[in-house]
Amino acid sequence: MPLDTSTYSLALLRLDGRRWNELRRLTAQISTQAAADGSSYLEMGNTKVICTVTGPAEGKRTGGAGTGGGNEAEVRVEIGIAGFSGVDRKRRGRNDKRISEMQTTISNTFASSLFTHLYPHSTININIHILSQDGSLLAACLNASTLALIDAGIPMRNYICACTAGSTSSHSANDEAADPLLDLNNLEEQELPFLTVATVGESDEVAVLVLETRVQMGRLEGMLAVGVDGCKQVREILDGVVRRRGKRILESAAV
Amino acid sequence: MAITILPPAPAYLEPQDDISSDDSDVDGGVDLEGNSGMRPSKRARHSSDQELVTPGEIVTDDPQWMRGHGTYVAPSTTEIVATVAGTVQRTNKLLSVRPLRARYTPEIGDLVVGRIVEVQSKRWRVDVGAPVLASLPLSAINLPGGILRKRTETDELQIRTFFSEGDLLVAEVQSLYADGSASLHTRSLKYGKLRNGVFMSVSGTGGGGGVVRSRRQVWTIDTVHGGGKVDVILGVNGYIWISKHIEVVGGDTAITRIEESVSSTVYSSQNDEIAPETRREVSRIRGVIEILVQEGLRVDEDMVMKGYEAAVEVDSENQGESNAYLGGEAVVPGAVDMEIAKQEGEELKNVKRA
Repeated sequence: MPLDTSTYSLALLRLDGRRWNELRRLTAQISTQAAADGSSYLEMGNTKVICTVTGPAEGKRTGGAGTGGGNEAEVRVEIGIAGFSGVDRKRRGRNDKRISEMQTTISNTFASSLFTHLYPHSTININIHILSQDGSLLAACLNASTLALIDAGIPMRNYICACTAGSTSSHSANDEAADPLLDLNNLEEQELPFLTVATVGESDEVAVLVLETRVQMGRLEGMLAVGVDGCKQVREILDGVVRRRGKRILESAAV
Repeated sequence: MAITILPPAPAYLEPQDDISSDDSDVDGGVDLEGNSGMRPSKRARHSSDQELVTPGEIVTDDPQWMRGHGTYVAPSTTEIVATVAGTVQRTNKLLSVRPLRARYTPEIGDLVVGRIVEVQSKRWRVDVGAPVLASLPLSAINLPGGILRKRTETDELQIRTFFSEGDLLVAEVQSLYADGSASLHTRSLKYGKLRNGVFMSVSGTGGGGGVVRSRRQVWTIDTVHGGGKVDVILGVNGYIWISKHIEVVGGDTAITRIEESVSSTVYSSQNDEIAPETRREVSRIRGVIEILVQEGLRVDEDMVMKGYEAAVEVDSENQGESNAYLGGEAVVPGAVDMEIAKQEGEELKNVKRA
């Protein structure tokens, strides 16, 4: 069923009642699993993700390839999508192209943002489990990984905060007056052009930019600006989660 | 009928603390005046009024400070930026951020409990919970047959008879390599292979609750209910060993003589007979440590002893039902016992406050 975007222009409200620049409810917890070095649980609307970090630990020797034997830690990402997470119960194989692309994106992002040179020939494993998907999957994974890595105490340059941005009309509609949208849900993602953007902390430095849909060149700037602005909002929320947790730890340690 | 639409409540809401006061210094830099003359302290100091920083937060832009662990200087600026979430520590002019939680990083002289994961021709590789495996050279252990015995090629061939994969040992960090990995030694009667006990892994020195570096990492508890003596070894790396105390035979002989008499059994992997009473007390101590960690309290001799006494007291109050940890998934089985655990935690906090 195609997304009904005709009503947007009437009240400037999206299908789920948000305005163009509103994020969905974003809640998170850290240190959810005691056994892991770092862990987090993140909800972006109805997208729910669990992330655990193990390491830095000495990984198994990769036979002669020497990828893990360098002077820097290797960041390995594994994403598992639960069968019940989507609307249709689709089985995904080990080497699903979409999953492996997300893994590579996340791994490359954190390899450049973490201080991997402090942990020579060791491995940092990031395990992500997607429990429920409703759009902004890559963004949710990046945010959850950031929290889990902070929980694990692995030094990083800054928070990596991600969100998606889209446009109110599809490419084919070629609407000149299309507004940019922030944080798309699954329905909107299927119909509208969107991009995933991640920034380094509160700066405007873009760490990840993924655009898989067709969109007019003129609309891109607006989308990107809204996305970067959304990332700053995400950062405030993530920072709040970390601070609350830190405060609790300090209070109990002071006893 | 009027309809009111309420905003949906999140599945889980963390207690909303006022964090606005923390946010105010995000771009202004943390105030560093006042305690720059603080004495450098080796032990970490905990207090709730310590300032908390998160990754990417500018700690200071004053060029007089040197950056330490947990910070970095952004290129072409003098700003010192935090890279971990934790508390700011100042040692003279050195500024570092101590993470709330992190993996153990070895330091020379640390007492650690480790597990052998790999046997090589002249050394063992030991998991001590650090980013990289530690190594234990064959030359750094006490060979059976006295202190003055020379290491021979036969020993190299029989390396598995001393330690093999999966064995647990207590050792000291002798030196550190350039990549941060540790070299261990067991050249003392205090160190060596572990048996007759139970292993547990909690978070080590790095932040939050867990084992802290303290005066005594190893001590013996005189347990109640006929449990006899129980040894507790708190590895600085967060690995803990609780075992039945074995009296050293021939305690009155000279040091070198002890070495000889003990070394015949020191590499044995065979457990002694352990009475059920001892097992119960061992698991009770284990339960106490589990609770300490759960409540985010530090684990050291003082806290474990207080916790153990409290546990024994609570146990004697509830006749019939024992709250000792006797295996299984939960720390203490049953909801009632969980309540007891909570009480103990509270009790401990009150004890420390007083």
